[in-house]
Amino acid sequence: MSAAGTFEALDDLDAINKLYRERRWSDGLPIVPPTQERVARMLSGTRRKPDEVIAVLPPGFGEATVERIAVNAVMAGCEPGYLPVLLAATDAVAQAQFNIQGIEATTNPVAVWLVLNGPIVQQLEVNATFNCLGQGSWANATLGRAMRLILQNIGGALPGDMDRATQGQPAKYTFCCGENEAQSPWEPLHVERGFAREASTVTVVGAEGTLNMNTHSKEAGELLRVIADSMVHPTSNEYCHGGEPWLVLAPEHADILKAGGLGKRDIKQRLWELSKMPAGQLSVKEILRAQASRTDEYGEITPDTLLSISRSPDDIWFIVAGGPGTHSVYVPCFGNSRAVTREIL
Amino acid sequence: MSKRGKSALTICSTAFQTLGRAQASALGKKDLPIAVMPHPFGLRKREEVRAIAEKCVEDIVKLVTQSGAKS
Repeated sequence: MSAAGTFEALDDLDAINKLYRERRWSDGLPIVPPTQERVARMLSGTRRKPDEVIAVLPPGFGEATVERIAVNAVMAGCEPGYLPVLLAATDAVAQAQFNIQGIEATTNPVAVWLVLNGPIVQQLEVNATFNCLGQGSWANATLGRAMRLILQNIGGALPGDMDRATQGQPAKYTFCCGENEAQSPWEPLHVERGFAREASTVTVVGAEGTLNMNTHSKEAGELLRVIADSMVHPTSNEYCHGGEPWLVLAPEHADILKAGGLGKRDIKQRLWELSKMPAGQLSVKEILRAQASRTDEYGEITPDTLLSISRSPDDIWFIVAGGPGTHSVYVPCFGNSRAVTREIL
Repeated sequence: MSKRGKSALTICSTAFQTLGRAQASALGKKDLPIAVMPHPFGLRKREEVRAIAEKCVEDIVKLVTQSGAKS
């Protein structure tokens, strides 16, 4: 694999940003110039060789070498210690079940959400508490941004060219958080997905957006009902294809559910049942799309058919994250994508 | 398909023409024939889509045959 290209430029931040803007190498925000010195410093964050190909990224089929990933990490403002997260995340998005070809080339606004688990959350100071999906944390902001730059600059998904998103969404700039494992009453996401508790992992999710769910309910059954009702929407890809919806439960909501005697599997089963929607709520065209995708599950789909949001309760996933408050988040997903978790080594 | 020596052709709507051409180029098949249909399909009735297909089928057969002859 050839090394990343180099060029000479004036040692002037404004001039370099002008150049990156003209060549469409940025996400629209100013970048940190990836000088050879900065890239070398970034590469000190891994023992892997710079020319190792981590993945070939559609839609442009660019080879994501360790060095090219490091270049984009510098541009995003990452610290060298963040690089292993990006190597694992790049490997994860390239797995067939994630469907990065579909995610990058679709008209859908789908963004790549990075969820971190394990000791790395503390080590890198990844925010998993107050405002963990918002601004203010260097790791959250720059890791999510670097992922987007990798997909755009190595994968070739430039807006209006190979990225065909009709509007996109703000999360396409950056979307990254940790799980608040200390305040979760259940096993963390990475353990549920088969990793050791002491392992550090990144999970990539194809996320359509975020819907805030504010409820002061103090009763587990009622809380699940209103969450499920919030998940039901007739313009959802999930009901058409049998998707993989995600939730970010506030620690306070998680405690209510735990006090109600519910484990993770109980919650998934209840949400799956409660969020069933009559196909008649879909438009006629969407019923046809659902028919094309889900005939094996349902046979003929009529307006009275009760469609589930996912094929199985086990396809509903959630983490506990955030600070105090009565807000949980529904993260509707692309539909034709399955999350992938990789250990950060 | 094309790289395996099979006749291949991509059909897409005008909105995806740029994507199709860029991906063909990225995969080293710049000359991959692409049949482009008017966008959007979502607003058309099935009968209209069928009429477009019938109108284009001969051109598509011609394109894919030429593509086969090239590979």
